[in-house]
Amino acid sequence: MRAAVRTAWRIGTAAALRGRAGRPLSQAAGDGGGAERGGGSGSREAVERLVREHPVVVFMKGSPAQPLCGFSNAVVQILRLHGVEDYRAHDVLQDPDLRQGIKNYSNWPTIPQVYLNGEFVGGCDILLQMHQNGDLVEELKKLGIRSALLDAEKDQEKK
Amino acid sequence: RGLASGTDGESRLARLLREKFPRASAIKVVDISGGCGDMYEIHVESEEFREKRPVQQHRMVTQALSEEIKHMHGLRIFTSAPKG
Repeated sequence: MRAAVRTAWRIGTAAALRGRAGRPLSQAAGDGGGAERGGGSGSREAVERLVREHPVVVFMKGSPAQPLCGFSNAVVQILRLHGVEDYRAHDVLQDPDLRQGIKNYSNWPTIPQVYLNGEFVGGCDILLQMHQNGDLVEELKKLGIRSALLDAEKDQEKK
Repeated sequence: RGLASGTDGESRLARLLREKFPRASAIKVVDISGGCGDMYEIHVESEEFREKRPVQQHRMVTQALSEEIKHMHGLRIFTSAPKG
């Protein structure tokens, strides 16, 4: 019991020194507020490295081969429709620090999160909208990725 | 209270959204968790969204509902500016 209290106090103090004083201790200890300490996997630096790793980076629940959430699955399916199979996917269920860190980084409360060229684009609703209005084809083109849907259209025209 | 009046969660969220988006022309909140109150579909149409990118519009909603979202399993957001 006493050890737990001492640990919570230390996390609270570290958070306070970083200018987040006034944050409740229970919150500091419980929600992965410590995720931003030093070089943890949820720190700004670590997340920054991940989002810049590849033109298309997705933070999701589960993996592209086995999504564990309907919203994450929707993102995987939309990318697949456009022929985008080569991208970086990070399963936040495997890493609680990353799960909180990515939300802090983008100031966005939910998973999945899609990053194109290191920039946060949105979640599944936004990706769906972009897919429906043609914006996704354009954004992929800017990354030098030709959407498979363009080829599908060409095949249609030939018939 | 009849079934037609919607869930308590829907009403509370709709009221919160009306406060945060005073210029909204339409607000609709639907509990899509089967009444469990942990997944919602949020629709907001407001002049405040005009000329803003979808992700900016959605972020305005997530920030308005930041406390509530902490207790949700998920949410869907649909925003737009009034036509015309």
